[in-house]
Amino acid sequence: MKNLLLQMEAICKTFPGVNALNNVNLNLDYGKVLALVGENGAGKSTLMKILGGAIQPNSGKIKIEGEIKKIFNPQISQKNGVSIIYQEFNLIKDLKVHENIFLGREITKNGFVDTKLEKKLSINQFDNLGVNIDPDIACNKLSIAEQQIVEIAKALTLDSKIIVMDEPSAVLTEKEVKNLMRIINDLVKKNIGIIYISHRLDEIIQISDNILILRDGFHVNHFETKRITKKQLIENMVGKSLSIDFPKRKSIIKEEVLRIESFSKKNFFSDINFKVNQGEVLGFAGLLGSGRTAIMRSIYGADKFDSGKIYKNNQEIHIKNPIDGIKNKICLLTEDRKKEGLILNHSSQKNFGLPNLKNFSKNLIMNESKEVKSFKNYINDIKIKIDSPKQIAKNLSGGNQQKLVLAKWLESNADIIIFDEPTRGIDVAGKREIYELINDLSFEGKSILFVSSDLEEIIGMSDKIIVIHEGRIKGSLKVDKKLTQENILSIALG
Amino acid sequence: MKKFINNYGMVFILAALCVLFSFLTLKEQTPDSKNILNQFIEKVKSFEKNEIIILCVGGKNTKSAEIAMELEISLKQMGFSNSSSVVGTPADLKKKLIKMMENSNYPNFIIMNKQISTWNVLESLKKDNIIYGSTEEFFPKSNLFPDFLKKTNLIAIVDRIVVIAILAIGMTFVIITGGIDLSVGSLIAVSAVVGTSIMKSMGGVNASADIVFIGFVLGILSTMIIGCIGGFIVAFFKVPSFITTLAIMLIGRGLAFMITDGFSIYQVPESLIWLGQASSFGLPNTVIFLIILYLIAHFFLSRTRIGRYIYAVGGNEEAARLSGVPVNFIKIFVFLICGFTAGLGGCIQASQLNSGTPNMGIMYELYVIAAVVVGGTTLSGGSGKILGTLIGVFVISVIQNGMNLIGIESYTQQVVLGLVILIAVVIDKSKSHNFFVQFFNKIG
Amino acid sequence: MIYIKKCFLVILVLVCSCTNSNTKYIGRIGMTCMDLTNPFFKLIANVMEEEALKKGFQLVALSGDQDPAKQNNQIIDFAVQGYDAIFLNPVDSKSSGEGVKKAYSLGVPVFTFDVQVTDKEAASLIFSHIGSDNYQGGQLAAKSMMKVTGDIGDIAVLSLPRITSCKLRVDGFRDYLKQNNSRIRIVTELSGEGSRDEGFRVATDILQAYPDIVGIFAINDPSALGAYSAVKKAGKSEQIKIVGFDASPAGKQAVFEKQIVDSPQQFPRKMAVGTVNAFFEYLDGNSLPKNSFIPCEHYYHDNSINDKSRINEEW
Repeated sequence: MKNLLLQMEAICKTFPGVNALNNVNLNLDYGKVLALVGENGAGKSTLMKILGGAIQPNSGKIKIEGEIKKIFNPQISQKNGVSIIYQEFNLIKDLKVHENIFLGREITKNGFVDTKLEKKLSINQFDNLGVNIDPDIACNKLSIAEQQIVEIAKALTLDSKIIVMDEPSAVLTEKEVKNLMRIINDLVKKNIGIIYISHRLDEIIQISDNILILRDGFHVNHFETKRITKKQLIENMVGKSLSIDFPKRKSIIKEEVLRIESFSKKNFFSDINFKVNQGEVLGFAGLLGSGRTAIMRSIYGADKFDSGKIYKNNQEIHIKNPIDGIKNKICLLTEDRKKEGLILNHSSQKNFGLPNLKNFSKNLIMNESKEVKSFKNYINDIKIKIDSPKQIAKNLSGGNQQKLVLAKWLESNADIIIFDEPTRGIDVAGKREIYELINDLSFEGKSILFVSSDLEEIIGMSDKIIVIHEGRIKGSLKVDKKLTQENILSIALG
Repeated sequence: MKKFINNYGMVFILAALCVLFSFLTLKEQTPDSKNILNQFIEKVKSFEKNEIIILCVGGKNTKSAEIAMELEISLKQMGFSNSSSVVGTPADLKKKLIKMMENSNYPNFIIMNKQISTWNVLESLKKDNIIYGSTEEFFPKSNLFPDFLKKTNLIAIVDRIVVIAILAIGMTFVIITGGIDLSVGSLIAVSAVVGTSIMKSMGGVNASADIVFIGFVLGILSTMIIGCIGGFIVAFFKVPSFITTLAIMLIGRGLAFMITDGFSIYQVPESLIWLGQASSFGLPNTVIFLIILYLIAHFFLSRTRIGRYIYAVGGNEEAARLSGVPVNFIKIFVFLICGFTAGLGGCIQASQLNSGTPNMGIMYELYVIAAVVVGGTTLSGGSGKILGTLIGVFVISVIQNGMNLIGIESYTQQVVLGLVILIAVVIDKSKSHNFFVQFFNKIG
Repeated sequence: MIYIKKCFLVILVLVCSCTNSNTKYIGRIGMTCMDLTNPFFKLIANVMEEEALKKGFQLVALSGDQDPAKQNNQIIDFAVQGYDAIFLNPVDSKSSGEGVKKAYSLGVPVFTFDVQVTDKEAASLIFSHIGSDNYQGGQLAAKSMMKVTGDIGDIAVLSLPRITSCKLRVDGFRDYLKQNNSRIRIVTELSGEGSRDEGFRVATDILQAYPDIVGIFAINDPSALGAYSAVKKAGKSEQIKIVGFDASPAGKQAVFEKQIVDSPQQFPRKMAVGTVNAFFEYLDGNSLPKNSFIPCEHYYHDNSINDKSRINEEW
């Protein structure tokens, strides 16, 4: 029996506290397109990074054309015929097209780079792909679609047998997507195997031969595309994961406390309108990159926005920077708490105090004992596991770091709290504690904006869910027993 | 205790250096008059007190001068009636001896010390055949004491480093926020030159102390404005502080030369030297000033809101911004402070040199940054203590002073100092990355 | 980390102990000059060291590196340490006065060479000064300039105003021309910074502004040689005569090659020996003349032909 082009067998990968991949198998045949599907955090990018040599698996085997390969670094991966076209592209924008295509493997004549030959070969590739790109211009002058094609051309000149495309269509227009499909068909005719990662189910059904579904680090199922319907696909993606019991919510929702009107920011989101009531937990669902984080950051003042109005308690407020946000009793627990939420090298106490120094100082002089006392109260209240207030923030576990961030904002007396992916990277027990905290807060009358990619979590925690797709509100759903993850996902996918 | 070592560990190095240099500068020192007296009496106990003629010699302005005069009095009191002393230069000694010869009163004993022993007066007189008769030079046994620990030397250690130490305060502020200021050396010159120019034009040598004060204020103001501009460019135009302050360094140096046309300004009031050279309460004014400034700075950084903000900006600028810290204001503030301390340093240096010259402070930024880093402040920002900087400053001063005391050649000194800075920075990096642990793991 | 600190201390001890041998001398002299990288001062330091050793004194030579504060600290360190004498070549004639006053108050005699201290109070505390008679040297230069230009025409001067010794040379030059009713006109005086490249640059600019000059006087050989390069580049080496100063090895060679007409000679060896001797006289208890000036001498092409010191590239 002829060997498969690519076999990844029983791949396992753990990061501290998280099982990213559990015994995942992936098979790819010559001249076939395999769609790799799954929610955010399912493990797709981890699996591809292992194939690309960027990280090493804890266990498992990779066979290319029947031979076991140990891929220690990206160069080895490349040598074995694997090319990965990342979402952000790996081009050096200031260099010319042909320079990028032959980067690291420049063609030389007598010790000098033979630009003429490079350009000629580049044009050959472009002809094969049926496109017309001038190899002499800098890549930053190309459109996104053209840059993508340059990446593909580069993969071809590397004699890649396996090409992985990560969300290729996310940045293309309809016409360009059609062109991409055509190119993929041509590649397939050359016996190249393609792994196609995407959320766009219609495309997947159109272009792929097989589909592999990942969920929570496990491979759940694989199908031949022609044997599956879209509905079945969605069901499989969502599935029944280990269910977390979400704490019972008792919501007491009062009047409107925040209203956003015609909120827009070019390239990020447009015409966002919604309102939040006191005591409400408003969830925001959507795919990665749909614009939710950008919206939240603009509301808080972390980033600017182009147009729109914000009303708090029915009065217009102007938010230009975080200081304005804090002044208006809004706070944001960022997506990346390590980079943006905490000063890791400073003590927990110092982190706690930072937005609240006015509370612990008279004139300009700090009263440290007041600060310590207040911090200790929070440590007790929200049960932060910490040896002493002076412990360095870096050394806390993920969940406790998140609680530390929460403590600092609670002290600032914010009544609108924005959570952006609050339970990312936190274990099950930690997640539970955070859910309970959020419930307590909303019960006390705080209003919560809750952004999450975990559909189960959003349904479990929110009173109402707004679904964002490509920067626009696509749906607004009330949460009741009938609401399913499939409902949300189908709206989120567009 | 562990925290103390982490923050102020350099203090042990400083102590070790002091011990080292004390050891290396052990020298025979002149004992006090009582000691000499006892030794001498022991020596001449077989003689009749009235019969011997004794001369005590002391060098002008030195400790031996006091001793010589004290000895004369004590000897007379003890019955050695024919005792006299001479204090001054070798020429004075020569004159005294010739006079004593003329009065047939030539000394039997001359009480010496180490400095006097290099004087050649007796040999010279003998060569000119002016002396006849024998005289014995009495050398009291001396005790060993390190030159390093002499009071005058300890004060000199602080005095010489005062300007660098003051600049280091502002530099610490800037480095904690993750920036750097290369312009401080040339700002010294700017402040000194502006200040002394004002003093010169407002009366020159005859101006009052108020004029000195005005000159100082305007000098410091000028560097504060420059610092402010630099901070503004760094904060709002996001130009890295390295380049910004490098450019200001060139501009500042050029300005100083432009203002003075290359000359030094020495038409300055007499009261100018008060700040840099006079003493109060037994300590040089500069030392008192230094102590006060460091206490204020330490309090400011560790106990005020702005101090907290400064550490936050250096620790994680984006997280600080998102926590409501006024990042841009803080950045401008620290460069303002740095300009202020540079201006202050310029005033003190002008006072120490009693003039304003445009080539003051060349390369000082290097020593200032070295002192800050040696003192434990990391260049990447977010941590560091002012008192640590003070220790770093002293480490450098002690090394420079010690090398001078031992007599190490100029260029060797430069090599040693450069090595110190290099090693300090390496240790600094290894603290944050456990570099040596990894390194030794790799090879081990 | 402790390991590294220990290593470092060991290195320091080794370095220090290599140089800690002051027990075999009967005394120590501290010397600090404006710039020890200048061969003029390096030579003086070496000669002083030899001379001092003859009577058992150790000479420690330091460089002030053009930093007046640094030099004052060196003076103070010498004084605190009880050195027996300080030989001083001031970086800045006024500021060094502060260091001199401190040394005096600690009882250490100070002798200056080449450049004088101008602070009135400090100057009275100096035991003696020895230097070239820069003023007279400037006069010699003027004499040569008058001779070689036929005493008529425009000339330029490359000076170095912040160093008093150089200032005196220009003063002597100008005064001589005035006193002898010379028809020579000095059209410009600019600083050549005493260096070859700055002398070149400034001379080039001067030639642009005053293309018809017939001579250039530079206060030292490096700037004179820089001026010569500029003149040669402009093709005017026949038209413009150059007078330098110092008769340094490079200057002597330039005179020999007829690039420079004259370079009034300084005698650094005499200066060094003179300073050490002044100290020995002090020790003998003899009085000293306050200032000794060593007259400069012409150094013409004729002098250079068989001059052994030129051939051996010495001062």
